[in-house]
Amino acid sequence: MLNFEEELKKFKPSLEVEDIEKAVYEEDLTDMTDIFREMLEKTK
Amino acid sequence: MEYTEKLAYQSNYWYNDGLKKANIRDLSGAIVSLRKSLQFNRENVMARNLLGLVYYGRGEVVEALVEWIISKNFRSYENIANYYIKKVQETPSELETINQAIHKYNQCLVYCQQNGEDLAIIQLKKVIAAHPGFLKAHQLLALLYLHTEQYAKARQILRRAHKMDITNEITLNYMHELNQLRSQKVAKLKEEKGQHTVTYNLGNETIIQPVSASLKDNAAVLTIVNIAIGIAVGAAVVWFLIAPAVNQKESQVVNKSVISLSEQIAAKDTQIETLKKELESYRSTSDETESALQTASSTQESYEALLKVSRQFDGGNTSNADMLEGLLTVNPDALGEQAKSVYDEIAGELFPVMCNRLYEQAKSSMAENDYDSAVTDLERVVRMDEGYDDGAALKLLGDAYTGKKDEENAKATYERVVQNYAGTQAAEDAQKALSGVGGSQNQDNNE
Repeated sequence: MLNFEEELKKFKPSLEVEDIEKAVYEEDLTDMTDIFREMLEKTK
Repeated sequence: MEYTEKLAYQSNYWYNDGLKKANIRDLSGAIVSLRKSLQFNRENVMARNLLGLVYYGRGEVVEALVEWIISKNFRSYENIANYYIKKVQETPSELETINQAIHKYNQCLVYCQQNGEDLAIIQLKKVIAAHPGFLKAHQLLALLYLHTEQYAKARQILRRAHKMDITNEITLNYMHELNQLRSQKVAKLKEEKGQHTVTYNLGNETIIQPVSASLKDNAAVLTIVNIAIGIAVGAAVVWFLIAPAVNQKESQVVNKSVISLSEQIAAKDTQIETLKKELESYRSTSDETESALQTASSTQESYEALLKVSRQFDGGNTSNADMLEGLLTVNPDALGEQAKSVYDEIAGELFPVMCNRLYEQAKSSMAENDYDSAVTDLERVVRMDEGYDDGAALKLLGDAYTGKKDEENAKATYERVVQNYAGTQAAEDAQKALSGVGGSQNQDNNE
């Protein structure tokens, strides 16, 4: 049997038009290249 | 091969994977693949544009715009993201409607957290009506339907959600839940049905036999009852439908026979009437014949009597009284012209003499109270000459009847005098005598 409260937690608020700018800036754009560079810098 | 090329290769691999999944409407799978693609290479514009398109396909327009804007930042020219952004911005009202729907959806999440499921359901219906492709709204509404045990509606909404995204974990989870609920119901029904069966092992075989139900136990009784009902219905049909028709035919036959008999009776009646008329005519004919015979006989007798009186009158040896006796038997009306003249001649000689004589005799008889003789004489006088002595003879006849106590004849005679000889002394006397007769009658009645 489903747990309503738990299922409800899975639903997150959807972005509204007003939130676009903020969402664009907060978007995590990290990729594997960034990780490799960070690793190389740490190994140096 | 440098690691950057390897990363680009991997990114493209996951982009291809995401594209395949997007083509078959596996949007959730496509999002995972495209996210992986972007983790390998964030500048994979094609993967980001497709990710935005996939979000758009799930109704998450703002998320899509975010991805396209970022994509545009990575490559501002020859980028399809420009087209997508332009298309979305072309219809601001539509975008506003979608934004309102998203806003309401977010409100519904708050309602749900505050136990306002009913209000949330109402709002979500409006959200879906305004923005039909919004997957999250469908899923939340399905969850609320499941929570409020409106399983049919939940199934309907989930089918639509499944068409939008065939591998969405939430959708599949809810559908699975619905299927489980259904299977539980079926199992329960089977369990209820199973109570009507008996299971036992015979050797290595399991025998499932239906329990003999009370209905089956009473099958024979029910069969008999059904037959009885059938017979009753058949009897009713015969009584109400067939019998009236048969009776009508019989009554028609009887009516026809009655009509024919009535016609025969009428014909017979007519025949009888005709025969009666014929009989009456025959009878009247015979009466006429008889009267004619009587007239003839009377005529013959009158002629014979006149002949006899004529001979006596010519002979001169017969008394006047005897001749008068014979002459009075003659009916003058039956005589011919010559015989009538003979009769008148004799009567002219005889009647005045005899009237005078008999009148005088009657007076004497009256004086002696011999009313019978007086009546006899006066009747002859009146036959010879009714108006003799100005009706005095007729009035005296009334007196004689009175003397004889024959009041009926007396009254009739007095009335004849009053009517026929008005203005005479005899009429006055007769009038007085009539009152006397009436008075005596009244006296008799009083007595």
